[in-house]
Amino acid sequence: MTLEVQSLTKRFESVTALDGVSFTVPTGSLIGVIGRSGAGKSTLLRAINRLSDATSGTITFNGENVSALKGRELRRWRSRAAMIFQQFNLAGRLDVMTNVLLGRLARVSTLRAALNLFSEEDRAIATAALDLVDMADYAAQRAESLSGGQQQRVAIARALAQEPELILADEPVASLDPRNTRIVMDTLQRLNREFGITVLVNLHSIDLARAYCDRLIGLQAGRMFFDGTAAELTDSVVRDLYGMESDEAGAESGPTVAAEPLPQLEMAK
Amino acid sequence: MAGIRSVLLDRARRLGPERQKLIRPGWQRHLLPGGVAFVMLALFVYALDRFGFGFARIWNGLERLGFIIGFMLPPDPKGNLPAFAWALGETVAIALLGTLIGAILAFPLSLLAARNVMTNRIVQFMSRRLFDGVRGIDTLIWALIYVNVVGLGPFAGVLAIASSDMAGFAKVYSEAIEATERNASEGVRSTGGRRWDEIAFGLLPQVMPVLISQVLYFFESNTRSATIIGIVGAGGIGLFLSDTIRTGEWQQVSVLILMILVVVSVIDFVSARLRFAIIGKRG
Repeated sequence: MTLEVQSLTKRFESVTALDGVSFTVPTGSLIGVIGRSGAGKSTLLRAINRLSDATSGTITFNGENVSALKGRELRRWRSRAAMIFQQFNLAGRLDVMTNVLLGRLARVSTLRAALNLFSEEDRAIATAALDLVDMADYAAQRAESLSGGQQQRVAIARALAQEPELILADEPVASLDPRNTRIVMDTLQRLNREFGITVLVNLHSIDLARAYCDRLIGLQAGRMFFDGTAAELTDSVVRDLYGMESDEAGAESGPTVAAEPLPQLEMAK
Repeated sequence: MAGIRSVLLDRARRLGPERQKLIRPGWQRHLLPGGVAFVMLALFVYALDRFGFGFARIWNGLERLGFIIGFMLPPDPKGNLPAFAWALGETVAIALLGTLIGAILAFPLSLLAARNVMTNRIVQFMSRRLFDGVRGIDTLIWALIYVNVVGLGPFAGVLAIASSDMAGFAKVYSEAIEATERNASEGVRSTGGRRWDEIAFGLLPQVMPVLISQVLYFFESNTRSATIIGIVGAGGIGLFLSDTIRTGEWQQVSVLILMILVVVSVIDFVSARLRFAIIGKRG
């Protein structure tokens, strides 16, 4: 019962975003993917969801070759591997309830969905998911009227309504304040523990990755650079992973290593 | 570990009455959209009926259309080609001049109508309504008016296109201006720039791609309008078109139509290239 990624490679025109990445994730683990901006973290998660396909390599889930799926089976896989995005990717002008019901789309015909004829079961699942992230009071509000943290919780409810076996969270807290960061990370952890959903989460804060994840995968320039527990991720590994000068890392080391990648590269995503 | 579905459904059963309403929202929510859809459909069917829409009429008309197309073949200018070409050139010139004059006059006006530039709500609102009014009058009607004001000929045509375009441009521009991000203007202000500097360096670079592609698009569509306004005497190829149709010179009509088609598609092609060259890929 595992997710298996084998020599995954993704090339854009001139850039190699992923370069032969391989790893195995046992079901039920919470894995943090770290590395500086542009290291291939987003590309990796998007390739696993099959939102954008890898150039070569295979993805296997519980023995099933996911990278070969097409049509209806592919859409079914996407719904099993729920994505959570940095910018939430909600339909801003639709209300919160409808946004969560979109998580049922893979199981409902477009016509029924467009006429708002979701079944009572679908509505029950969506409502319970909203209640679980403490957002049911906002069900009738437009998604775009909510704060970032609230929108991300709605996005998590949508993911949960997909009844996913895997959650792929791409920088889910990068645009949130510390309090909402905690709420969102706690919720992801809770889904992992209570429902046994495997979670892969891209983070650029090393502290968060250490605090929440059983295991960390470090990417550097599209290659696997580190794979181990938080304890094994020493300051010197962090320094190498982020390509920091030693004095830079020295200034930031100590109990709270705020290993921010070089700030001017942030926009380059 | 229990499945997600059973856990969620179990949780849903235990939710309070407020939440149960979300789960069973009732059929009333379909009333408004359903009613609107029904009224629209009824209006559509009623209008078709009132206008005497019938497949029989279309079918009978097809036969006559077939005859006319037969008369058009083969296209033959009957020695009028130089006159046609001159008139077509005049049409393109009318479209170009009218579009440019409209586009230039529209820019200052659009600032008056943009909410984020004109802070005086009354001026902003009134100029919007004024543009709507001017735009509400079709180019053809402007042409009829100007033919009476400045006399027959291309000058009336240029004025007609400039008038209706000015209002159209001003509306499109002001909406583009309202859709800009404030950040760049704020940046210019923070350096001690004047209000005009904010517009020139903060605002204009953002709206430029929209303005240029709108001008090119209007020019294309005005070339078609300019053929029509010729019919009422405002210069260009339209006069020949209406005359030859009236007198049943179908072979010449087909020459005129082909000439217009060629010119419009050339303009289409050139303006696509121009847009690409000026705006680049991101346009």
